[in-house]
Amino acid sequence: MTIMKSANRYLWIGYTAARSNLAYGGEVIYRCSFLTIILYIFLRLWNVVYAATGSDRVGGLTLPQMVWYLVVTEAIYLSAPRVASEVDEDVRTGRLAVHLIRPLSYVGGHLSRAMGDRVVRFAINLTVGAVLAMILVGPIPISAAGIVMFFATLPAAFLLDFLGMFLIGLCAFWLESTSGLALLYTRTVMMFGGMFLPLAIYPAVLQPILKVLPFASMLSAPGVMFVNPSFLLLKESIVIQGAAVTVFLLVVAIVQFLAMRRLFSNGG
Amino acid sequence: MNRGVEIRELKKNFTLTRWTGFHRTVSEVVAVDGISMVVPQGQAVAFIGPNGAGKSTTIKMLTGILHPTSGNVSVLGFTPWRDRRRLAHCIGAVFGQRSQLWYHLPARDTFELLSRVYGLERSEFIRTRDVLIERFNLGPFMDTPVRKLSLGQRMRAEVAASLLHRPRVLFLDEPTIGLDVIARQLLRDLICEWNRNDGTTLFLTSHDAGDIEHVAQRVVVINHGHVVVDDNVAAVRRKYLGAKILRVQFHGAPRSMKLAGVTMLQESDTSGSFRSIRPSFQCVLLLQRCWMRVPLPTSRWRIHHWKK
Repeated sequence: MTIMKSANRYLWIGYTAARSNLAYGGEVIYRCSFLTIILYIFLRLWNVVYAATGSDRVGGLTLPQMVWYLVVTEAIYLSAPRVASEVDEDVRTGRLAVHLIRPLSYVGGHLSRAMGDRVVRFAINLTVGAVLAMILVGPIPISAAGIVMFFATLPAAFLLDFLGMFLIGLCAFWLESTSGLALLYTRTVMMFGGMFLPLAIYPAVLQPILKVLPFASMLSAPGVMFVNPSFLLLKESIVIQGAAVTVFLLVVAIVQFLAMRRLFSNGG
Repeated sequence: MNRGVEIRELKKNFTLTRWTGFHRTVSEVVAVDGISMVVPQGQAVAFIGPNGAGKSTTIKMLTGILHPTSGNVSVLGFTPWRDRRRLAHCIGAVFGQRSQLWYHLPARDTFELLSRVYGLERSEFIRTRDVLIERFNLGPFMDTPVRKLSLGQRMRAEVAASLLHRPRVLFLDEPTIGLDVIARQLLRDLICEWNRNDGTTLFLTSHDAGDIEHVAQRVVVINHGHVVVDDNVAAVRRKYLGAKILRVQFHGAPRSMKLAGVTMLQESDTSGSFRSIRPSFQCVLLLQRCWMRVPLPTSRWRIHHWKK
């Protein structure tokens, strides 16, 4: 099959997943409401923090920049699809057979589906968050180059998160339940990815370590790129994201090979 | 003869690991123990047996999901576990308890997706899709989200989706499970018609005798990993389904009964075994006759199909 036809299959899976995501208007409204509440609460908290410090900058960001940073990181975090639980369910219920009987890569199919889900959710979250931020704190200086740099960090951020969750899901071949691991993973991303606090606020001794961990590439890098873009930061982000994606891809390939061997020899 | 599926001395052992404290015991479970059979292209085979007999394991090896311990399989000239991706273009599967349709979208969207997944030419896909819609009567609900469909409608859409790419071999795993009598018969007729008109080889797994008798031409019974019966449906019916035995547990002591066409095999204080060799005999009629003669506020009955 030609490369175009092969790519077309996966693009259509993503497109179908995106449409499926919009099937329930009520759920979309609920997610937007949840995001609105979270952002409003954090705005009030940061108001207090900025007033208490008496400074107009915390972690190198002004209050409006901090709110916009939160909009981006929350939009990314809340757009995460349920990859780990879907893979877990595939393994435990035997739905894996439905996937393997198709001329598709198992990980490729899940990646397409996850990206389709994620793009729609992220777009909605970012739009709602942006409207709220405009109302609450007003706009921040944004350039066209800054927008381009911001979007340049997103594909690798989404891919990294997908690979992490896919790895968790593959653990269903060995574990009774992967829900505990998934919870640990999401909370680790939240804490060490800079979702609530930019990494600049963390203790100086931890910042270099946190910057090279994959979690920062998922949340903090795009967030900072949006509010305070720079080419130096973009180069640094691309290198770290590239290295993280390479390592994750290798680990996923090895774990999937072992998992499939277990499936082929013992039915999973 | 055009050989669709060839199986030679297929075996599959699973490794069972048990831990007692720090001590590990490894044992082997033989799921499939030397199955051999040849299925010509276009034949409809019912692959049946009790739970744990090795049916699903065999089907999974034929589709490339499992690798055998030993033996050879050729499905349309492919070795399933080596050529899984290429074989996937030529086979289809319907799992009664697992859906391939997107739950929140209409079946039409899944059909469109499948046309891209299988790389179908647009004109060919539209032609096949329209034939399937017409034959499976999907028109009234093609644009209704799958979650809103009845089970009968969903299963028709599932089977139609599995035929979009015109597979040469179709695996049907309990396709009529949960369907009412009418929906079941309709689905059977559609599957039969497709088998006859398109020459699709069918592998049917079902616990429903009606599915087997209406859809299949050949019955392969598997138990403990072995083939125990391999014959055409008429021969199996003639040789093995000549009589029915009904065991009835009565509330009180039954009076002895003489019923036309029925032999009392065994009688105890509270139970009786009745045997009928009339193929058309219905157990519910026997129960009705028992109830008329003996009041049965509570009773249990068990049916055994017994070889003559």
